[in-house]
Amino acid sequence: MIATNVRRLGLYLLLGFAVMSGGLAYWQVIDAPQLAAREDNPQVIAARRSQPRGTIFDARGAVLASTTVTDGVSRRTYADPAFSHLIGYASLRFGTTGIEGAFDDLLIGRADPNPIRDLVGQILARRPEPKDLTLTIDRRLQDFAAAQLGSSVGAVVAIDPATGAILASTSTPTFDATPISGDPEPAGAAMDAIRAQPNNPLVARDRQGRYTPGSIMKIFTAAAALDAGATTPKTTFPDQPKQETQGFVVDGFTITEHDLSPVQPALWDLSPALQVSSNIYFAHVGLELGAERFLDYARRFGFCSPLAIGPAGRELQVLPSYVTASSDDGCAPFSDQVELASASFGQARVDVTPVQMALVAATIADGGTMPHPFVVRDVRTHSDAAPSTSILETEGGEGGRGVVSSRTAAAVRKAMIDAVEGQLGALYAGQGAVKLYGVTGVTTAGKTGTAQRGEGQQPHSWFIGFAPAQDGATPAIAIAVLIEGGGSGAANAAPIGGAVMAEWLKLKAGG
Amino acid sequence: MRVTWRAVELRMLLPLLVLVPLGFAVTHIAQTGRLEPGPLGLAIAYVALMLLAHLTLVASGFRGDQLMLPLVGVVGGIGLVILNRLPQDLAGTSAFGIQLGMAGTQVLWFAVGLVAMLAVAIGLRDDGILRHYKYTWAAAGAVLLVATFQFGKEVNGARLWIDLGPVQFQPGEFIKLVLVVFIAAYLAERRTLLAEASSRVGPIAIPPLPYLLPMLAMFVIVMAIVVFSKDLGTALLFFGIFLTMLFVATGRRSYVLIGILLFMGGAFVAYQLFGHVRVRVDNWLDPFADPSGAGYQTVQAIYAFGRGGLFGEGLGQGLPTINGVLPIPFVQTDFIFAAVAEELGLIGAFALLALMATLVFRGLRIAVLARDDFSTMLAVGLTASLGLQTLIIVGGNLKLVPLTGITFPFVSYGGSSLLASFLMVGLLLAISHRSARDVAPPRDEP
Repeated sequence: MIATNVRRLGLYLLLGFAVMSGGLAYWQVIDAPQLAAREDNPQVIAARRSQPRGTIFDARGAVLASTTVTDGVSRRTYADPAFSHLIGYASLRFGTTGIEGAFDDLLIGRADPNPIRDLVGQILARRPEPKDLTLTIDRRLQDFAAAQLGSSVGAVVAIDPATGAILASTSTPTFDATPISGDPEPAGAAMDAIRAQPNNPLVARDRQGRYTPGSIMKIFTAAAALDAGATTPKTTFPDQPKQETQGFVVDGFTITEHDLSPVQPALWDLSPALQVSSNIYFAHVGLELGAERFLDYARRFGFCSPLAIGPAGRELQVLPSYVTASSDDGCAPFSDQVELASASFGQARVDVTPVQMALVAATIADGGTMPHPFVVRDVRTHSDAAPSTSILETEGGEGGRGVVSSRTAAAVRKAMIDAVEGQLGALYAGQGAVKLYGVTGVTTAGKTGTAQRGEGQQPHSWFIGFAPAQDGATPAIAIAVLIEGGGSGAANAAPIGGAVMAEWLKLKAGG
Repeated sequence: MRVTWRAVELRMLLPLLVLVPLGFAVTHIAQTGRLEPGPLGLAIAYVALMLLAHLTLVASGFRGDQLMLPLVGVVGGIGLVILNRLPQDLAGTSAFGIQLGMAGTQVLWFAVGLVAMLAVAIGLRDDGILRHYKYTWAAAGAVLLVATFQFGKEVNGARLWIDLGPVQFQPGEFIKLVLVVFIAAYLAERRTLLAEASSRVGPIAIPPLPYLLPMLAMFVIVMAIVVFSKDLGTALLFFGIFLTMLFVATGRRSYVLIGILLFMGGAFVAYQLFGHVRVRVDNWLDPFADPSGAGYQTVQAIYAFGRGGLFGEGLGQGLPTINGVLPIPFVQTDFIFAAVAEELGLIGAFALLALMATLVFRGLRIAVLARDDFSTMLAVGLTASLGLQTLIIVGGNLKLVPLTGITFPFVSYGGSSLLASFLMVGLLLAISHRSARDVAPPRDEP
């Protein structure tokens, strides 16, 4: 009997050893890749201190971020402050941000884009081999956009509507990322100096700034209502001309029009309403659409949840944009009809990022399909000066997501062309300024926004648009321009939007 | 005394001739880029010690188990290779005016341990001294325990060292040994009398008093260790050994269950009352909550496992330093298994676990073949002690159970631990020798 008990004990102890073996296999094989990516892993720290880090190139092979190793200490240099928010920094003291953070495992070479090579590398515990990144952005356009913003506080986001490739994404004011990634002590001093500056230069306003959109939101409202069949491009509202002067009473609250002079109110359908940017018209459109469909289309357009630039697992996070109050799972329901009517022309609690609005423009430009944005075009083997010819992986090409029908997109596109180039539109948006200077034979589509804020605060100045927009042309660029407290959208954001789009068309033509 | 050729033992010891010197050579090349004969001295000394132990057994006509020594030799050899790879100033002593590094000190303790093992294995021809003086042993254990509570030196939050001028030792290691002897004698004496008697409260079989009282006494002792010594590992190990032996003596799982429930209740109260227990448990549940503070050691060990991967970083090539300091505090004692797993990989760590499991099975085989109940119970207790200790520390390293500061037998650095482990193997060898000598037909050969 005692022998039986001993045998049973042997079985239990064997079970114990089996459990330990399982735990061992879990940490050493299954969870090992995740552990290898953690910032405070001494291996990662040691690698950061001493190992080369992949170079980041612009679309044409210009070096944007590079690392030199001297005396066993690696130093990262960033060539262009216009990229500081997008590329971020790889700092021993402050961690990694931006593309440096999202693609960290590849840049330090702990991972390989090819899953089989990656597995083999892990099994054989190969020394890390840094990988280089090539961006979708032409540095010349990024610099041009940053120069256009100049000393204003704001952001420009430009996307290729067909592919989702980011063409420019910059935020002002910016900072020099090189000292932050250097030795811990000077890095701390550099960081303190940046934090002491006004308008917090560390905030990536393109992805992490949220602003009231004002009239640019009418593009969304129009597209949603047309697509849902709530309105047509010819829909008019009989009470609207009268309400333009007397106000539109919704649930006892009077919605008033902004200053429409020099135009006289009339019975408008979509195109003239968008040209003069009638709040009353779009309040009617939003109420016709209804709260539920408004929220449904908002989610389809990417509002109410975080957006991501880049492939899953290596994405740059974009803060969620909201059309109502934020709630745990996205957008809360509209509290009443007044909020719905106001949201329809981009006021109330609508709160959006420039990236989100650039994607709205890109969706209309691409015939109703929202492209999946990406900013790293490919991953290559390491090289210091010029990009290697050995491409390991190409990003993008994930395909877009159908948001509205092509018919809807075409109707909105037409209204957006009118809003910039139409007779009435030129008076507002235009004031003749959304011209593509130096580019002939190209039509532009767009919409300005002058987002009202609290008493005594200058409105935010917005523009979204795309070009070329004429029939039969494939839009090459969709854009969102924001200037914090920049006043009139037409006066400030729209000229920048026109200039950046024109610059891109010129750069593309020039090669 | 007739010489017995121990051919199996010799053959199984042969791999050591290559294994340990090769480990030292690879480490030296990895760390300095050179191949020199000097650093191999310790490895050769270690192998020579093992061969000397073998020859002593041969010369004395010893007929006991032939696998124990080779198993201990390889397990200890892996440990020594890893200790030799670590910075040698982590621990060490000066003996006879010679400054010994950590690995050197460990080899010295191996020598002491092997001598003690041989003395017990060959010298203990009669187990009467253990069996008949069980209460004397128990009293000695109790004195040691109280002395630890009273005079113990607190190191890293646990009070488990006694300082005797030139020598420091951990009484817990020896109390463990005495405990096993006492429980074996006590249970063997009562086993036949009381195997069946138990009373029931509802569906639970309550152990009869002769079992219940020791269980409660053990529980009190264990809780005293937690409270006064703050030594969770030893407490867990002691109670585990007791429950294991009780299970083997009675065959009743319910007793073990009651013991576990009792222990969990005590653990819960301790968690509520004592900060040091709470810190350990919270760290166990989520070390990443405070990765640079309380959870640092565990987190760094997990990283080490991850770095090791399937084949390991290679001897001398793992364990990256942070500002010149090894990332895992107490890597040479509590976390030696993590160092093995990092440098030798999953393959090497599996092998080490398999060797320990084999050692456990060998110990249980000795228990089954033993000629009387006391010998069986003693062998079970010794084996369970070695096995459970391994499981508890490995489980702690792997974050499967809360981390406790106990050693990996034969692998961790430390004289007390090594000496106690060798004494246990010595006792197991003595038991196996007696059953072989008596040539009594084995009760049921497995």
